[in-house]
Formats: sequence, structure tokens, C-alpha cells
Amino acid sequence: MPGEVDTDEYEDVWVFIEQHESEAAKVSWELLQKGRELADEKGERLVALVMGEDVSHLAEEAIERGADEVLVVEDPIFEPYLPGPYGEQFSELVEERKPDIVLIGGSHTGRDFAGRVAVPTYAGLTADCTELEIEADTHLLLAKRPTFGGDAMATIKCVEHRPQMATVRPGVFDAAEPDPDREGTTTEVEAAVGEENVHSRVLERVVGDITDITDAEVIVAGGFGTEGEFGPIEELADLLGGEVAATREAVEEGWIEAARQVGQTGKTVKPDLYVAAGISGAIQHLEGMNDSQTIVAINDDPNAPIFDDADYGIVGDLFEVLPALTDAIRDEQEGTA
Amino acid sequence: MSREWNIVVCVKQVPDADDVSIDPDTGTLNRSDAEAVLNKPDYNAVETALRLKEAVGGTVTAVTMGPPFAKAVLEAAVGLGADDGILLTDRAFGGSDTWPTSLALAASAEELDGDVVICGEESTDSSTGQVPPGIAAHNDWSQLTYVEELEPRPENDELVATRDIEGGHEEVAASLPVVVAVGFGMNEPRVAGLHRKIFSETEFEPEEYSASDLGIEESVGLAASPTSVGGMDTADPVEREREMVDSVDELVDKLQSEGAI
Repeated sequence: MPGEVDTDEYEDVWVFIEQHESEAAKVSWELLQKGRELADEKGERLVALVMGEDVSHLAEEAIERGADEVLVVEDPIFEPYLPGPYGEQFSELVEERKPDIVLIGGSHTGRDFAGRVAVPTYAGLTADCTELEIEADTHLLLAKRPTFGGDAMATIKCVEHRPQMATVRPGVFDAAEPDPDREGTTTEVEAAVGEENVHSRVLERVVGDITDITDAEVIVAGGFGTEGEFGPIEELADLLGGEVAATREAVEEGWIEAARQVGQTGKTVKPDLYVAAGISGAIQHLEGMNDSQTIVAINDDPNAPIFDDADYGIVGDLFEVLPALTDAIRDEQEGTA
Repeated sequence: MSREWNIVVCVKQVPDADDVSIDPDTGTLNRSDAEAVLNKPDYNAVETALRLKEAVGGTVTAVTMGPPFAKAVLEAAVGLGADDGILLTDRAFGGSDTWPTSLALAASAEELDGDVVICGEESTDSSTGQVPPGIAAHNDWSQLTYVEELEPRPENDELVATRDIEGGHEEVAASLPVVVAVGFGMNEPRVAGLHRKIFSETEFEPEEYSASDLGIEESVGLAASPTSVGGMDTADPVEREREMVDSVDELVDKLQSEGAI
């Protein structure tokens, strides 16, 4: 078991570039942009880590999006993702190259990976951060996350261990546009993983439509109050060219797929218009939609906390209000067309 | 060769999220009077463990780490059908973050000669989801997270899982021993039978393990935890109009004047 470490030996900010079938997860580019800011503040380098079977094009893109160096480990053993080989390779790289900070996307894959690698590297890992800063005098990473219920933000530090690791959910930070003129170095690393590190094998992988609600300009979201009936929500979202989203409760009830969950443990969205129907307004949910431009709340309980966090509220049955709203907007659209 | 499985289910005592009140003076959440309950996602873990036992044979042992009164969540698990419960309790565990917590659970799973360790997706009080992969990493066992379905293949010493990969799913075969984190809501947890429930609350006494029983007294607690809480701030509220409207037409007018539609 690793003991105390000399923290001065550790430098640079790393971002784990999550990829599936040679396609990068968008959250990786969001973290690369945040990592760029943190590295500049520390006066250190930003390093992207890309693992997979055929990923050299992602190395180029990582440089265009801000990386000074890209570590590329290409080997068929890294496709598809498995925690054993990925974890072993990452531990080797950390031991050899000693990064100070490592950022990982808070996707299912990212959280599976982060939890696995934090143990052998004895890293301090903070989950689902919504803010990342560098402390002025110590240069420590300040990883901030809402606490239970979200009434306060806790700042988590890792003082004596390295690396300082954090996961961040998709949509919390914005990705930078690629700059084709940016320059950086690509370092190819030989895979240091053997069959003994493979504890599991993927028999089948089925990827359907990957809904990305984080880019939507309009979102109509439903909660427990829908009782599973999302029809009126879909109609309004369709009319406005927006996406349907939901609370954690609705996802847990199996009413809607997890990819559409908004909240601290789901996606963070920033649409121009967010319509919350049958959503009470748990802080867990508010964390994911607070940055929306305009928020409309529809709830039959006049005391629902969501009204405090909305610009406009209507007290009423969503099954009456939503269709009426859809009709009224359709009339307006047709009238002005 | 086919044999029965030692199934370990990890459970956690948390404040009841439904029982957290808002302090009328400060507007902050008041958690101190919330009842301590079994973490809701752990009901799916216990149900999974019981179904595996029904399919393969063997035993289900519930394990929790916490103060002596955390025994209540072991009683809940035994009431649901777990064969036994182990309480990891020791002042030395105090202040542990996920690194030493997963070490203690990993050491217990090894002590119990576990074949399969089942956990809930995450706890409702800290929601990191880091403990299940942490247990697997400490023991260098296989791991399966975000599991929606499980199919035991005892003839191969394997567990096959369907995992949610956000926008799809994958089927993964993992060699034993394996740590599983089941998706929240992946099954319909059973209700405790009356006789078993009475037994769990009156006769059942968990075996207690201390840090030194597990040989990890130097590696747990606050000092062994890489992370620490560096401060608490109130979350900045976003300023909102908070305007109640009486009709849909009025709402459409407002949204149009803002350019929102």
C-alpha cells in the first residue's frame, strides 16, 4: 500500500478522454477546456490521456481543444472499455508520470473507471463536482459539490495524496471550439496490460440513439406529478423543437430513459426555456437546471418549492395546463406565420 | 465446477431523505432529526442477493460499517431474508472517506470468502458511487456497475450482467469473485415476512468486526483518507422572477415578450 507521497513531485493536469468505438464523449472536451484553465492558473501543462484501439485522430482533436501533450495508448485490449485493463494501465501511467490533477467525466463509464483507479493510486477522488478551482496560496484543487440535499456546497480537498481526482457530470462546463492551428506533442505509450488484468469480457454491446439533452435550447421536463404520462410533455417539446427531460424519480420509476435525467446525478442543462411540469423542485434537480435562461413551473401544489426557482408559475393540473399551453403557442405561431 | 456461492451484500445507514425538514429560520435543511434508515438503493442490492441465492444456492451475508446503532440496517437486511449480518464498528473507522471504507468492506468480503459482493448504486447521503469499484480494486476482483439484469453461470464461475451504458446496454461476463453495483430501481424489492422480521428484531445479533480483526487498523479512519472537507458555503441562489400567472394566455404573453418562444 502506498504511504506518504512527496506532493512536489506531482505536476500537470490530466484529462481522461472517454471514448467508445473511437468516438469521444463530449464531456471529455468539456473537461479539457476546464483543465486548460486550471493548468494555466498553476502554470503547468495540460495532458490528455487517450486509450483505445484506433484513437490517433482523437489525439489530434485533443491538441486542437487545448492539450499540450496527448498520451496515446493504442491496443485492442482497450476496446471496448473494461475496468481491469484501463485501471491497470492508468495506475502504471500515474506511477511513472505523476500527474497532480486528473479530471474524469461523470458518465457511467467515467465513474466506473474513476472508482477503480483511485484505489491503487491512493488518489483523493471527489464525485460529481460542479465547480473546480485552484486555491491561490497552496495551488490545491478545490473540488466543490452540493452536499446531501444540496443546501450547501462542500469544498473537498486532497492535501497529502496525489493525484487529486474529480469526476464532473456532462454539461457542467462548456467545451472549447477546436483550433486547428494549436500545437502540441503526441506521446505513444506501449500498453502495459496483460491477460491477467482482464477479469471480464463484453459479450454484446448495443448502443441506440444517444440523446444529448445538454445542447437543447428548449426543454420540457416532467416529474413525479406526470404519473408516468409524458404525452403532453412530448407534444409541447415537439412544438418548440425541444427535448423531453425528467427528474430522478421519473427515471427510477422507469417512465423515461436515464439519459434524459436532469439534476446533480444526471445532466446539467442550460436551455433558453425550461418548462418544469409536475416537478416539486428538489434541490438535487434544481442543480441541473438552475442555469436555464427562463424557467416556467406548472404544479398543482401552490406551495411546491419549484415556484421559488421559476420565473413564471402556474398552479394547476399539468394535464390541463400543458395541452392548453401547447394549443396557445400553436395558435400564436400560426397567427404570426 | 459448480458450487454454492458466498454472497455478501453491503448496506449503509443514511438519514431518511424523505424526513429532512427545512429550518424555518435559516431556510437550510435540518437533517439532525431525520430518522436513520437503510439506504434506498440498497433494497435493490438485498433483493438481488436473495435472488442469486435462490438461483445458485449458498448464503447471503449483509455487511455494514458504522456506529453500533447501524445494526438496524443489518436487521432490515436479515428481516428481508439475509442469513447473517456483520457490523464493522470501531472508533478507528471514524472519518473514513471512500478509500478506507471500501478497504474495510473489501477486507470483510475476503474474510467471508465472498464469491459475489452486491452493493446499491450509490448512497443517498453522499452519492459518490465510488465504494463498489473501490472494493473491487482493493481485492483486484472484477466489477460490474450500473447493472440492470444478472444471470449467474455457476458452471463457469461467472456472473453475466446487462449494464446500462447511457444510450444503450452491454452484456458483460465477469469472473468470480466479483463486485456488483446494481442500478437503482432494477428490481422490485420484496417485503419482509413477519416471522423473519420479528426474528431479526428480537433474536438476531450481528457479529462485530473491529479494524484490527481485519488487520487494517493502520489504513482506515480520517488519517488514511485522502480527501477532507475544506469548507462549506451556502449555494448561491439564482435570482428568478417568481411571478405567478393565472392563465396560459398570460404565460404565452410573458414568454413572447422575453423572446423565450
